[in-house]
Order: sequence, then C-alpha cells, then structure tokens
Amino acid sequence: MNERLNPPAPQTPRPLDRPYAGETYYDRPALKPAPWEWLVGAYIATAGLSGGAQLLAAIFQRADRQGSRGVVRNARFLALGGSVAGGVLLIADLRTPKRFYNMMRIFRSTSPMSIGTYILLSFSGATAATAAGEILRGRGRIGRIAEATADIAQIPAALTGAGLGTYTAALLSATSTPFWAAGPAHLGANFASSSIATSAAALSIGERIGGRHDTADRLDAVAAIATGAHVAVSALSDRHYDDEEVGDVMRETAAGRRRQTADLIVGGALPLAAYAAYRLTRRRSPALAVLASAAIIAGGFLSRDATMRTGERSAERPRDYFRFAQAEHLPERHRRDRAMTDRQRSPR
Amino acid sequence: MTMHPRAVEEPRSELEGPIPNESELTSGTLIEPGKRYGFFTDTTLCIGCKACEVACKEWNQLPAEDMTLSGMSYDNTVRLSATTWRHVTFVEHMEHGGETRPTDLPGFQSQWLMMSDVCKHCANAPCLEACPTGAIFRTEFDTVVVQQDICNGCGYCVPACPFGVVEVDELDGKAHKCTLCYDRLKGGLEPACAKSCPTDSIQFGELDELDRKARNRVEDLHARGVVDAYLYGAPDGPGSTGGLERLNAFFLLVDRPEIYNLPTAPTRPSERIPAAFGTGLAAMAGLAAAAFAIFAGSQRR
Repeated sequence: MNERLNPPAPQTPRPLDRPYAGETYYDRPALKPAPWEWLVGAYIATAGLSGGAQLLAAIFQRADRQGSRGVVRNARFLALGGSVAGGVLLIADLRTPKRFYNMMRIFRSTSPMSIGTYILLSFSGATAATAAGEILRGRGRIGRIAEATADIAQIPAALTGAGLGTYTAALLSATSTPFWAAGPAHLGANFASSSIATSAAALSIGERIGGRHDTADRLDAVAAIATGAHVAVSALSDRHYDDEEVGDVMRETAAGRRRQTADLIVGGALPLAAYAAYRLTRRRSPALAVLASAAIIAGGFLSRDATMRTGERSAERPRDYFRFAQAEHLPERHRRDRAMTDRQRSPR
Repeated sequence: MTMHPRAVEEPRSELEGPIPNESELTSGTLIEPGKRYGFFTDTTLCIGCKACEVACKEWNQLPAEDMTLSGMSYDNTVRLSATTWRHVTFVEHMEHGGETRPTDLPGFQSQWLMMSDVCKHCANAPCLEACPTGAIFRTEFDTVVVQQDICNGCGYCVPACPFGVVEVDELDGKAHKCTLCYDRLKGGLEPACAKSCPTDSIQFGELDELDRKARNRVEDLHARGVVDAYLYGAPDGPGSTGGLERLNAFFLLVDRPEIYNLPTAPTRPSERIPAAFGTGLAAMAGLAAAAFAIFAGSQRR
C-alpha cells in the first residue's frame, strides 16, 4: 500500500538537512564576473576625486570666503577635467560605445548605473557653470553674471558631487558578485571616505604649488582625518567579509592582497606617517605633506582597481558564492526564507 | 499522454506552414499575451540527450563554441554563455546514501543527476533591474528578453544575475541570453527546447498550471520513496529567496542546489542599494562636518 508522507506545507527539502559542506559542480564558477576593464575602476576613483573636490570647495567657501578663493578655483577646474575624463572612461568601456546615449532612454531607480548616469550628467552641468564663472572672472558684466551663476551652481555641484563619490559603492553592491555584495554599507563608507581623502589631497597639492601653505595645511588635516576613517573602515570591512564567508579571496588572490596593500599601506600607513612627520617637525618640510597627499591619491586609485579585480575573482570562485548564498546570510527582512532553505532553522 | 482533440485535424506529415496555436497540441498550453509562462524542468525525467541544447542552437542560429572534451562527465558544453542558452549538467552519483531506491536495479547510471540549465526568467529579474538602457524588459508573456537594438554592452546585467546566466558577447558587443523563444511564442509555438524534449522533462506552460503539476509530482515522488525531491525556484523555496519571489523557469531537484551549480539562497541585488548609498552619504556628511570645522576654525588663529 502506498504510504503517503504527510507533507506539512511548506516543507524544507531533505537535501538541505545538512549544512553546506563546500560541494561544487566540478569547481565551475556559478556566476559571471563583470566584463569591465581597468577603465571602470579608474572612473570610480576619478569620479570620487572630482565630486569630493566640489563638495569641499562649497564647504570651504561657506567657512572662509577669502581664504578659499584658490581652492575653489582649483576644485572647479579639477572637477571639470574629471567629469570629462569620467565620461570618456565610461563610454570607452561600453562594448557598443556608439550607443552610449541609450543610457538616457530611461531612468531606472533599481539600477545604480542608471542613477549614476544622471548624477554624472547633473554634476557635469553644474560643474561647467562653476568653471565658466572662473574663466569669465573679471570680464565686466558677463563676468559678474557668470560668477554669480557659478556660486549658485556650486551647491548642486557639491550635492551631486557627494552622490558621485558614493553611488559607485551602490553600483558594485547591487550585483551578485560575492565580494561586492557582502558588505554594502561598508563599501559605501569606504568609497565616501576615499573620495574625501583623495580630493582633499589633490586640492592640497594645488595649494602647495600656489604657495598658499596655510590653506594647504587645513586641507591636509581633512585628508588625514578622511584617511584615518578609510583605514578604520577597511579594517572593519575585512572582518565583515570574513563573517560573511567571502573573505578568503582577499588572502588567496593577488588582487585581494593588492587591495589590502593599497588600503592599509599606500593609502593608509604611508601618508599618515608622512603627515605625522610633517606635523612633528613643525611644518618645516612641505615635501613630506606633498608625499602624503600623493600617496593618498595613488592609494585611492590602486584600491579601486584592486577592489574591482578582487570582486571579479570572487565571482569565479564557486565556494565563496555558495557559502555567501546560504540561509544564515539572508538579510533580516527575508527571515522567513531561512526556514525554507535550511532545515536546522525550520520551525519544526 | 492522451491525444488532443485538435490533433485529428493535422494528420499530414509535411506542413506548408505553421499550425495555428501549435502549442496546444504539443504542450497542452494555449499561448495568450497577458498570461504568465515559464518552464517546469523535472530533472528526474531527464535522460541527458541534449536535444534541448541542439534545438536551442538551431532555432536561434547560435554558433558552436569550443568543442574540446571537458572531463566533466558528458558535459562538454560546460556553461551558459552569450551563445549557449541551454546547458545540460551531469553529475555521476553512483550511490544515493543508502536510501530507499525507487527501483531494484543496482545503483549505476540510474542515480546520475542530469539537469538542463537555462535562464530562470526570475519574477524580480536582477538583470532587468540593473539594465540602465531599458534593453532588458518583461514581455507580454511574463518572460525576460534583451532587446538587441538597444543594448550598448555596458555589461551591468552580467554581475547582477545570481545564476550567472547572461553574458556580453565579445564579437557583437551586446548581452545575450535565453528569450524563452519569444519569437516562437508570438507565433503560437512552444519553445524549441520544450518541444524537442523526448521525455517531457522540460514542460512549458502557464505558471499556475506548472506549479500545480510540480507540486503533484513532488508528492508523487515522495510517496514512491524519492523523499529527496523538492522544487527549486517555486515560490517559498530555495532559489526564490531574498526578494526574487519566484523563478518562471523552476526545477525539481533531488540533491543540494550547489551540486547542480545553483545557489541555495540567492538575493535580489537592488535591495542593497539603500544600505550602500545611505551609509556612503552619511559618511560624506560626517566628513563634511569635520571639514567645515577645520576650515572655519583655523581662521580665528
């Protein structure tokens, strides 16, 4: 006689009785890595630097109108160059670049790439208006109108600049690539602090070249604080990735090790040490401060590139993904799903 | 399978043109815009013949790829790609943990796991949510299709997919994946893979109907002693977790999903946007406040 099992619905499948033990399908990747070249990592760093520059310029203007003139001018040109370079990098990375304008067919709020397209467009427009104010400065009536427009445009430039420095973290997090998906909040704080650090460092170098050491010192202080924050976020992130079981890629791949070097040394210990030496020797050798700034910028670019590569490696490692895609790593709001996919969590 | 009443109207072996609503005869499903269609793939019926792979390549005129032996049992196709939209996986289980077996045959090939992998056409498709150009859209049959005349090859759909399905082709610079034979559906034909499947492992139909058939099949298998059978991608089960809701192309599996190269608990990527963006902007605000204090403070020196 057929004895029908009494199925209480819905029931956790029996094969999910035992926890995941590292099985794969012939070690084949279960995901595909993003097909992006070095251009996208370079874009993320460039966008963070340009966006941060306009944000810092707006803040400096509010805090000290006279002393910030040089910084604001440099920031506006730096951001102009950055937005043009950013656009070129993005279009060059498309695999059908002649259709780049299709990015503007729609706005899709679930796609950070769509959100970012419009952030970049608005930032470029506002930045162009601010740069026009600098170019036409002193040219009679047109110059005065341009300067006034530029100061008004500085606010949207600053706000979209802040967006530029952070939406890229959402871009990477809103994928299934385990190393990018495992820590969205950490990545957001990481990119934001790197954006402020690199832009403050770049503007500081500009002030040193212009002989304005006092404002350069203030920017160096901001860069140092942002760098300290970045190092802290990196250390916390590395711990978090291990909790989410995607951390092995940091130690087992060249890209992962490069990322840690960039975050903790090139863009971390080295500039902080150089800056400390500069302050301890009572600001006698500005070269140390410039070294610190250069290291922060280099570290920022190296870190973004290495973060991209580490993510791509993690997509090719099936165990990293399968360990991450288990019931215990589901977010709180999907708590109900945990019972369906892990018998040990089933209410029965 | 009983003969559909309309089958008597079509006795010819050679046809001049397509039979109207042919899918009624071949799959028992009338294809109407506005209804939700998908696949139920019962892997316990799969014999690993790969007719689905061949039919898909033929209908969609997809090129052959690398044709070397992979060493992965009978799976030399290896992966889904921009030019491979059906991929049969083979796992040579010899024993099945000493459990009750449905036959008296010694455990050999009767325990092999074979599954025809395909685009899952997710209800909340991450590729669609990621696409910034609107090239990927939801059709009138509730399937997910990439419009080839809009895609600019940004490649964002590729890392978004939790099952590693869609890929950008190197040669033509656009993203490609299974269309669930959108062109055939418009002509009243069922998808090529489902039509060619000799054991009806791949069943095409309306989702409600497929869900019903799938649940009945699982109960039936459990009653016969195949207690490991379960649905992957049905609502409220593995594969439909984390906000994906359900997969229009769902499966009946008999072992852990990872063994078939599927994740147990995938998530909907777009749900991570607020955490990343929000925390980033908060960090920006904090550092901006510190910057203001430093810029303003030094003035009073």
